[in-house]
Amino acid sequence: MTDATPEHGSILAVRRGPGANCSSIGSAVEMLFLSATAGVALLAAANAALRTAPDEPAAPSETPSDSASAHPSESSDASPPPSP
Amino acid sequence: MTRITAARPEHFGAWVRIDDGTLVAVDRALATRLSLDGGPWWTDAPPRPLPLEVHVAVTSRCPADCAGCYQSATRDGEHVSLDALTSTLDALSAMGVFTVAFGGGEPMLRDDLPALAATARARNLVPVVTTSGLGLTREKALSLRDFAQVNVSHDGVAGGYEAVRGFDGEALADRTVRTLVEAGVPVGINHVLTRQNLAHLAAMLDHARALGAVEVQLLRYKPAGRAASLDYLARRLTEAQVDGLGDTLRALAQRHEGALSIRVDCAMVPLLSNTITDPAALARFGVFGCEAGRNLGAVRRDGTLAGCSFDVRHDAVESPLRGASIAAQWEASPELQRFRDAVAAPSEPCAQCSLRSMCRGGCRIVSAHLAGDFGPDPECPRVRAFRATKTDP
Repeated sequence: MTDATPEHGSILAVRRGPGANCSSIGSAVEMLFLSATAGVALLAAANAALRTAPDEPAAPSETPSDSASAHPSESSDASPPPSP
Repeated sequence: MTRITAARPEHFGAWVRIDDGTLVAVDRALATRLSLDGGPWWTDAPPRPLPLEVHVAVTSRCPADCAGCYQSATRDGEHVSLDALTSTLDALSAMGVFTVAFGGGEPMLRDDLPALAATARARNLVPVVTTSGLGLTREKALSLRDFAQVNVSHDGVAGGYEAVRGFDGEALADRTVRTLVEAGVPVGINHVLTRQNLAHLAAMLDHARALGAVEVQLLRYKPAGRAASLDYLARRLTEAQVDGLGDTLRALAQRHEGALSIRVDCAMVPLLSNTITDPAALARFGVFGCEAGRNLGAVRRDGTLAGCSFDVRHDAVESPLRGASIAAQWEASPELQRFRDAVAAPSEPCAQCSLRSMCRGGCRIVSAHLAGDFGPDPECPRVRAFRATKTDP
């Protein structure tokens, strides 16, 4: 279900949000049970958003700290998506 | 036109946030098209991932005395100073965090809650907050529009609220949702599931929708704070309730599709393990189990960093990293590493489980309370079945 167009790049994952809560980043139940339709719709919306976004991102966050980027690879968590 | 409101380079490409708050992971080619430069993130060895969302405890004060308060908040608890919180927000912004969730105690008791939201916004952080509604006035509701969403704790209708929390806050929660909706603030509802209120879940969701909430977040009852007692065993979902939870949620998702978003927290994912059929697809849409120490962190009232806001076990312990920067704690905290190690090297049955990469081993707060370690979640149906085969003659 990725937007696989090598020359244009791909969407790897989508996390709908923000969801305020006291415990965690929530998972949308419709993704659990209605993923065939809800997932496609969410991916299409994200795809459309990025295709229509201005070339220059507005107010990007700062590059993460040097101390973090100097850390060696972590076996399980540093892997690329599908689990970003 | 949709705007990209924030972006953070990653080893795989980048996370970008679009203006409705949705986070999208893109590969390097698409990131380049969006004019992002990965710099060392694309050339050096993969660094430790940084959190997408961090929860920040802003007070330990709350007069509700809820029986299961995971923060053990009290009437004479103290607010964290605005200066300290501003420093925390500076640090989180510098790390590229996207969302900050304020919690307590009762954050609404702070007069400077609107200022906190503005301070987060000024640092390009998306602020959200959870409240019981105590301390909310119409005037205050109007001042909360900088929050992307306010979640109101509401544990049930028909007596369900009082059964879970020990005080009857149902009318307060209803009034709070209505007041916020009237003020134009997007409202979600946090609903803790226990064996006492599960039977009323369908009615609760209908009620939430009628009140004008845009979302209901279903939370697992966790043995933290005052809930870390023998009473936990009498409040957690029964095995039969857990086994039927998938069918219940499927029906409710269909009933409210397109009208009310229903979410589950990370701790609920293992309880649905017998229902999940395509973990890779779900992971692509942000459905994950324990995120502690990976995409999620939590800043305690004393400034120490935890894997999640329920990890309060070390509150009274002097941390060797107390006083260190948030980034340094994220990097070096043994507490966070314990969460990461549990995911990287799980024991059976998680090690061979097809859901391993998505479920991530279940809720460590539950397993630590029940088994004394960060092993497989003992309330997961798959773990229960595995252990039953080991004990059956």
